[in-house]
Amino acid sequence: MAMRDLVTGGAACAVPGSSSSSSNPLGALASSLLGSSSKTQERLNELPGVTATTITGPDGGLYRSGGVDGQLSTLPGSEYDQQLQFHHPNAQHSQFLQGFRSGDQSGGFAEAWDDIQRPQFGEFDGRVGPPRVQPTWDGPPQRVLSTFLHSFVESSRAGIPLRPAMLPALGLSQGDKQCIRDRSTIMARHFFADKSDEFINSQVNTLLHSLDIDNDLRAKGQLPGRFREMEEYWNESQGPLRAGSAHAGDAWVAEYNQHVSSRTDPEAWAHSFEQQHGTNGWASEYQQEQSQMVSMSQIRGADLSNMAAREQTRMLAHTLAQNNDPKFQNSKFLQFVSKMSSGELIIDDNQVKPAGVSGEWANEYQQQYKGATSSWANQFVQEELSHGTDRWVNEFTTDPEQHGLVDNQWVNEFSKLNVQDWAEEFEHQVGNGVLGENSADNWANAYDEFLNEEVATKQRSDASRGVYVFSDMNPYVGHPNPLKEGQELFRRGLLSEAVLALEAEVLKNPDNAEGWRLLGITHAENDDDQQAIASMMRAQDVDPKNLEVLLALGVSHTNELEQAAALKYLYGWLQNHPKYGTIAPPERSNSLYYADVARLFNEAAQISPDDADVHIVLGVLYNLSREYDKAIGSFQTALKLKPRDYSLWNKLGATQANSVQSAEAISAYQQALDLKPNYVRAWANMGISFANQGLYEESIRYYVRALAMNPKADNAWQYLRISLSCASRNDMVEACDSRNLDVLQKEFPL
Amino acid sequence: MPVFKTPFNGYSVKFSPFYENRLAVATSQNFGILGNGRIHVLDLTPAGPITELCSFDTADGVYDVTWSEDNDNLIVSAVADGSVKLWDLALPPTANPIRSLHEHTREVHSVDWNPVRRDSFLSSSWDDTSKLWTVDRPASVRTFKEHAYCVYSSVWNPRHADIFASASGDCTVRVWDVREPNSTMVLPAHEFEVLSCDWNKYDDCLIATASVDKSIKVWDVRNHRVPISVLNGHSYAVRKVKFSPHRDSLIASCSYDMTVCMWDYRVEDALIGRYDHHTEFAVGVDMSVLVEGLFASTGWDELVYVWQHGTDPRAP
Repeated sequence: MAMRDLVTGGAACAVPGSSSSSSNPLGALASSLLGSSSKTQERLNELPGVTATTITGPDGGLYRSGGVDGQLSTLPGSEYDQQLQFHHPNAQHSQFLQGFRSGDQSGGFAEAWDDIQRPQFGEFDGRVGPPRVQPTWDGPPQRVLSTFLHSFVESSRAGIPLRPAMLPALGLSQGDKQCIRDRSTIMARHFFADKSDEFINSQVNTLLHSLDIDNDLRAKGQLPGRFREMEEYWNESQGPLRAGSAHAGDAWVAEYNQHVSSRTDPEAWAHSFEQQHGTNGWASEYQQEQSQMVSMSQIRGADLSNMAAREQTRMLAHTLAQNNDPKFQNSKFLQFVSKMSSGELIIDDNQVKPAGVSGEWANEYQQQYKGATSSWANQFVQEELSHGTDRWVNEFTTDPEQHGLVDNQWVNEFSKLNVQDWAEEFEHQVGNGVLGENSADNWANAYDEFLNEEVATKQRSDASRGVYVFSDMNPYVGHPNPLKEGQELFRRGLLSEAVLALEAEVLKNPDNAEGWRLLGITHAENDDDQQAIASMMRAQDVDPKNLEVLLALGVSHTNELEQAAALKYLYGWLQNHPKYGTIAPPERSNSLYYADVARLFNEAAQISPDDADVHIVLGVLYNLSREYDKAIGSFQTALKLKPRDYSLWNKLGATQANSVQSAEAISAYQQALDLKPNYVRAWANMGISFANQGLYEESIRYYVRALAMNPKADNAWQYLRISLSCASRNDMVEACDSRNLDVLQKEFPL
Repeated sequence: MPVFKTPFNGYSVKFSPFYENRLAVATSQNFGILGNGRIHVLDLTPAGPITELCSFDTADGVYDVTWSEDNDNLIVSAVADGSVKLWDLALPPTANPIRSLHEHTREVHSVDWNPVRRDSFLSSSWDDTSKLWTVDRPASVRTFKEHAYCVYSSVWNPRHADIFASASGDCTVRVWDVREPNSTMVLPAHEFEVLSCDWNKYDDCLIATASVDKSIKVWDVRNHRVPISVLNGHSYAVRKVKFSPHRDSLIASCSYDMTVCMWDYRVEDALIGRYDHHTEFAVGVDMSVLVEGLFASTGWDELVYVWQHGTDPRAP
């Protein structure tokens, strides 16, 4: 497993021009709101008639003020109001009201007003007469099943298994959606204001994201949701228009639309899956292969705004969840918000419902897509998307963060879909890899098995690999300069955030090799070589001769123990290098043997012994052939030339660890951390080295530290679990399984 | 002291200025994010439970209520659909609301009745404006638009009939004289959104502000460079702040940290009482004008508490 520790080309990690872009977060917030928020959109003038007809007129003073003389005196300041619709040109401003009330000056106006109000006057006088008709409420009818919601919230506390998030059936009016979005935004801001810069920034980005979504609806002059008839009319008229219209600025939507010309029913399922589990991946590939399509794209716009609302509530839930006060943990509001954010509660036709109750997802799916299901399953199996499976499993195992206890539930649910094999395999893997056993012997065996299996799977799946899987619900989509933001986040060591920002960048500019390259480096530093490879391959597509990209690909493939691929890219590096191109004839690239490549690099090292990169590649190559002593030598040579390359120190440490020199490895890692204190991978590697020396207590501290910086590093969680078992700290295994960093950090301070 | 359970999440509570045992509560379904609203008018019975005199339903959440200072049966409500609605307790629910004033384009977040002139009231809204209304006019008298973000509350000065202050999410409090065309003062009160403000009932130049920054600040409008006092102790955004009608230095506040706090801004340890009775965000608090030391609070736990200062609100 230590082979994973090698990290990608360090020279490639420079982040140019990463000056801070975060000014006053609140200012940014305010300006974003002022600039584009629906909150400050053009004021809608009231529709004519609405105001007047809902007002019941004054009578002889029942509600009149107790002002001087029992006569309503003029309110000062009224002359400044521009809304004075009943302004009489001849009357003095100060006399306006008297005029209005007595009618002696205002003449026609007062009479007209009286006419309007007459019917109600009578009834008010003396409060007799027939009861008035109940006023029509000028909002949505009373339909929300509040008690239902609350009982659901209560019952869920008892640990009833939660269903996975699914996309709601939509019946929500535009006004309601706007309400949800705007209100939760404004309320969320009350909590967010004292959070860190990046937190607020990401919140702003979420807001922008959601605004992008709504651009097309606001452009039509959005109605505030009160005027039902008009709204319905508007919805009707917009229905066909909205279908298929891409949302400007939302790059991945555009990309998606490019891929999918039209849509079909089973594809809708894949689509909703995709929204849950990543934009790309096998789902979209599958979409491309399906050609009999029916347009269903009107789902989309609505889904997106729903996603945005969910994203916001997710952030809110996240903030709230950070409060340790048990009162907060029990807060129904918190649970409500977190349910909304995870999609457990859906808003359907102005009713808040638990997801899955309104429509049994699986059943519905089976009924509707019976034929498609099996064909999908077959196809899935046929294509041997073992890599896809693997990835999906990984993705899924990270999901409990959000979805809590769903695993089994979902597996059961899913197995209904005739994908038994897959489900079993999944359960098997979960059983081995994640749940494990407590006894040290058992885990070791099980874990080795798991690793072997994993490696085997990966090797088998060379062909199908390289599909970059985007995160869903990316708050940086719509960010004005995600590349810069990504660089800054990378510089600050916020790798998971940096990934999101860089993903936003490459979605916006799919041809930006630098964006893909940085994304790959970030993934590599974040200990995700699969994604690193996928993004580096995209970078290479755009810029096939980029040396840094080629080197990084070679290193990542070495980490994944994929010799052939690693050799291919390292050879490519040599071929495209201005200095060494001559010694690497292109015809050789089809049949590469390790010894040949190593020999060529040694030649290159002789040509220019001061080129640190050549020594780095040599070190990587020796790792591939497990000649660790030579590898250490190469890296040490490179370090003499580049003593401040933190990732090079990490490579040296990893190689030393591989050659059972754990103590030396630790001092190399320490060098790396001295140069870059927030270098997550080095913290994790440090833990591995301590664990290798049997210093489990120490290793736990380093893993926890690494995880505190990047809680999404699944490998590190697995390592942590192993060390906890070895250190007989089974009491903390639960905290590990629930990924409760607060508890772990308290227990294992560094 | 008694408790009343509301079906929806509480948003605001106000004692009647006419009857010492009466209060009005504004509530909203689904935490005010989506759904209906209801106004409850409650009566305290001597040593007994709280009884409901009547209630009014709205088609969107109700964020605030205020009692008329002139007519003991009249209530004004701030409704999330942007309307300001007037309700007459003497009329049956079918005859209510007696007015629905639709001018705000966004949620109306607060209403406040003028205690001096007693003929007008203010509404403030997330559309960044405050509006001045009278009962008898079909449209607002005036719109005050200078804030750059949501106005969360506007409150009349208790002495001067034409002066009010508005608290906004643009981090400022503005002081207005309705006789003047523009605001007369801008108080950059906090670094973060200001959610609430209130005037001191004994010194007409003092104003308290409550902010998302968790603090309450007391200001003298004659010298607004530095606050007279900064009250720290809430652990989340402070939702409402209110000066006592009986003691000039007593302040009550409620917060998203689920507590209601009492402060004496003049003493060093300003926090003189903390009530931890709510189990969700405490968003409404009021002090009775007619009974000294009588408090009411409401929150998103759907409970209305009434208690005497110094006693446990939850004590039976």
